[in-house]
Amino acid sequence: MKFCKKDKEQLLELCKQKNICLEGNILKLIEADDPEFDAYIKQAIEKDREARKKRLEITKKIQTQNTDLSNLNSKNQKIMEELSETLESVKESKAQIETQNLELVQWREENEKIGEELKEAIKKSEDARIEAEKAKENAENDLDLIQKKTQFELVSIIVKAALYVILGVGLVTTGLYITAMFTNKDTQIIGSTWSNMFGILLTNAFSIIGTIMGVKYASESSKKSEE
Amino acid sequence: MIESILLVDDESLFHLVFEDACSLLDISLSLRSLDSADEAAKLFAEWHKMQSGKPECVFVDLNIIGSSYDGIELIRKINFEYGNHVVIGIISSSNEPEEQAKALQAGAQFWIIKSDDIEPRLEQFKKDFEGYKKRTAPFKIYK
Repeated sequence: MKFCKKDKEQLLELCKQKNICLEGNILKLIEADDPEFDAYIKQAIEKDREARKKRLEITKKIQTQNTDLSNLNSKNQKIMEELSETLESVKESKAQIETQNLELVQWREENEKIGEELKEAIKKSEDARIEAEKAKENAENDLDLIQKKTQFELVSIIVKAALYVILGVGLVTTGLYITAMFTNKDTQIIGSTWSNMFGILLTNAFSIIGTIMGVKYASESSKKSEE
Repeated sequence: MIESILLVDDESLFHLVFEDACSLLDISLSLRSLDSADEAAKLFAEWHKMQSGKPECVFVDLNIIGSSYDGIELIRKINFEYGNHVVIGIISSSNEPEEQAKALQAGAQFWIIKSDDIEPRLEQFKKDFEGYKKRTAPFKIYK
């Protein structure tokens, strides 16, 4: 490729005045047929090479930075994925914990309910025990009363029988004595017998009364000691 | 020097790197960059119809995001559907032997590992290019 003289002059002028030269691969196709233009072409090629070297270095730097950024981005994405997975697992754990908490709360409520029921049952059993004790006490009291009643009845029967016997013997002896007196029979024997008998009967009567009182006192004292 | 190069890569920033590296190493004066495998396939279909316009060498990225097919599939299409008259290979940051075997099966002639220090690999590729063009150079991985 060749330039005419006018074009060459214009290109040289442009280079001198404004430092603007031809650039790119086209320079490698231009044929320089005079030393001045040859120097211009060589200068332009050198300038173009320098510019390309500079651009290549910058582009490579940018490329390296881009690669680094891309790697960082990949790492970040990986970290984000890991974080996301961790978050998911935390969410799952949280949900599990919440479920467990809910179950625990339910268990606690059930336990509380069971506890209350137990308390009620204990209270009922305590009431039942108290009632049973009361019933037992009542029964014992009733039994005691019955026993006492029976004892009293027995004692009363014994006393009555004894008194009847005493009274009967007294009356019979007295009747015999009176009869002997009114029929003018010998009253010496019957009189002494009557007085002896009366004394013995009186003694026995008091003895019976004393015995009864003694038994009563003894039963009362034993009851008190039991209590 | 390679007459014309086509780069198919979804990474726009790499277009600049590749363009500057090719210019500095005097690999090619004509370089076209595309960011889609679909677009590249469409262009190859047109060039196949017109029987002209095909680049001399094609560099394809392995994973072209946003495209209907990946780099290996594009190489297979270019080789088997639109005629295998171009030097074609993969330029990728991947170094998977499995993928490299697939690429070889699809008709790739080279595998350049993309990195910050791409210039030495491209320089080596430039030296080997004639062999690829004549189909005499074996499949090579530029590490």
